[in-house]
Amino acid sequence: MATPHHHMTRRTFTAVLAAGALFVAGCGSDDTSSSDSTTKSSGTASADTAATTPATASNDAVTLDYFTFSAAPDHLADLDAIIAAFEKENPNITIKVQTAAYADYFTSLQTQVAGQDAPDTFELNYESFVNYARSGALLDLSSYLTDGTVDGARYYPLALSGFADGGKQYGLPATFSDVVLIYNKTLFDAAGIDYPTADWAWDDETAAAEKLTDADNGVYGDYQPVSYYEFYKALAQNGGEFFDADGKAAFNDAKGVETAEWLLGKPGSTMPTLADIGGTADYDTNLFKSGKLAMWHNGIWQFTGLNESDIDYDIVVEPGKVSKANAVFMNGAVASKDTSHPAEAAKWIAFLTGSPTTVETRLASSWELPAVNDEAAFASYLTVAKPENRQAVFDALDNVALPPVIERQTELQDIVGKALDSVVSGGVSVQDALDNAAAEVDKLQS
Amino acid sequence: MAEVVAPGFITARRTRTAGRYAVLLLGAVVMVGPFLWMLAASLKTDADIQQVPPSVLPNPFTGTNYGRVLDAFPFWRFLANSVVVSLVSTLLQLTLAATAGYCFARIEFRGRNALFGLYLATMMIPLQVVIVPLFIEMRNLHLVNTYAGLLLPTIVSAFGTFLIRQAFLALPKELDEAAFVDGAGHARVFFQILLPLIAPALATFAVFAFMASWNAFLWPLIITRGSQSHATLPVGLSLLQGQYTTSWNVVMAGAVMSIAPILAFYIFTQRWVIRSLAFTGLKG
Repeated sequence: MATPHHHMTRRTFTAVLAAGALFVAGCGSDDTSSSDSTTKSSGTASADTAATTPATASNDAVTLDYFTFSAAPDHLADLDAIIAAFEKENPNITIKVQTAAYADYFTSLQTQVAGQDAPDTFELNYESFVNYARSGALLDLSSYLTDGTVDGARYYPLALSGFADGGKQYGLPATFSDVVLIYNKTLFDAAGIDYPTADWAWDDETAAAEKLTDADNGVYGDYQPVSYYEFYKALAQNGGEFFDADGKAAFNDAKGVETAEWLLGKPGSTMPTLADIGGTADYDTNLFKSGKLAMWHNGIWQFTGLNESDIDYDIVVEPGKVSKANAVFMNGAVASKDTSHPAEAAKWIAFLTGSPTTVETRLASSWELPAVNDEAAFASYLTVAKPENRQAVFDALDNVALPPVIERQTELQDIVGKALDSVVSGGVSVQDALDNAAAEVDKLQS
Repeated sequence: MAEVVAPGFITARRTRTAGRYAVLLLGAVVMVGPFLWMLAASLKTDADIQQVPPSVLPNPFTGTNYGRVLDAFPFWRFLANSVVVSLVSTLLQLTLAATAGYCFARIEFRGRNALFGLYLATMMIPLQVVIVPLFIEMRNLHLVNTYAGLLLPTIVSAFGTFLIRQAFLALPKELDEAAFVDGAGHARVFFQILLPLIAPALATFAVFAFMASWNAFLWPLIITRGSQSHATLPVGLSLLQGQYTTSWNVVMAGAVMSIAPILAFYIFTQRWVIRSLAFTGLKG
């Protein structure tokens, strides 16, 4: 059966190819693609020599791809400004931007990597970084940190170590966003309750949330998604461990159960039920912007949108229990192991992540926060607009809980998310749900 | 119905007609409602679209979202790419499906049915399964991020071949036998005798092929490698969504802008399809 099928495919393909070739000849190719193909072929030629001689930046004209998910739709012009500054400093290097939406980015990237046609440099979020690093797709940047192409001291140490794996530096941290407690001052004033402070613990939050909730009028005291991200962070706030020292799932112990109960106690009492929320996009954003939500666990990326509304709000570091622990989302820049121009690629991602131009451009356009260890650079950010207590964004970095990551990250997140859901929708006990999830997670790693 | 009927019968018929219109109206609301919602949402301000409960009509009306779509990606370039790719793909699919359908319906050769079965079996394989090998194939042919790379994997349609083979089979074989007796060859029978008679099937398939090509997302996303020179509108629309937040009013404006051309195409071809279907209905 396989043979005629294969034969047919090839025959059809030849016909198709002929038609396609005609079409290409008819349309011609535009300037971009023809120049692209020349750089690609010259790049392949120099790759052979690069294998024997140490990679140093030459003065030959070089074109590098940079694949990004964070520029579209609002910051393409800002990225262009950063590239223009880089190309001015390095006239022999041209950066070609490729862009995709975050939701589709990894589909495209995986295919390119699997097809051995990976972009020279690209963007990865922290959670997917480990997967790409361990699969051997990334260029080891360690030697460029030693030779001064990259200044390691420029970055937050924690952020830099987030993009290292097995003692090798595979990426440079570009941006971070953390999660804080956003609160509606008007609702707190109306209820006569003091605003949340950095000293608050879980119990303070619960007490305030109960007083602020007025379900009859659709006003809720609190909103914290029931998800993997909230669970791992709350677990750290509760002094629990997601994985034990041997890498086995440990989140089903007493601390884990207590954490899950804290999260699951909110829907239907101080926050809308999960059934109400359903799959509605931006349910929480809309609720908060309508002035019907008092406290909201969400990220600093909400500031821009909130400042366009007339809600009077401020932020504070999230309440903890045993300790403070804050979620941080990080994006980093990496180079492909197969790039023909490793030295230039390292130079570019160092500029993209750490240069003063980048820091200024990002801060001026609220394009996330650069992960540089340079408090003076952030002076303007602290006072630029609401919320007043922007210092909390940086205070949160004193106690960071990074998401636990494994190679099969997506499945890990699904398992934990479904386990929490099964308590609400399936009536499973919290202990059973977490036990099942822990067993499944261990199976992923065996 | 010419004879005298009881008044009660007329009332019953009127009620039935009213009932039918009610059902039709409901159907229209269900079908058109989402489009109107999309249009309304595209004209709302950021604050307006995030209201709880949601408002039906924009207040105030704003056209700025359409400008924001134009800023977010090179809309006209993407539109031109979509038009070119969809039209050429449809044309090539029609050509290949019609010729293949003719062979499977009219030319006897060994293993024809087995081959046709295999052909149909390819419909069972989803694109996702073959996407990496397909990408590697295109890379080896140096067709990544080219129009040819966008088009090649789409132009052979097993579904189209099946549809058109069925249309050919429905035509009486005496038609081509008579033509052969008069000295016509396959080319003449195909082009002059049979092809005009299966116009309805061709039109139907053209609509399917164009819509599928216009809406195609996964392959254009992969083969353009995130470059903007050859990307199509669905890829552009996806660029309107951010990592953490999405402005749905802008997404809706983009959707309106990308639906307008295909809506025009559909209205244009629909008239033709219905007329052709009615024409064949008389014969059958």
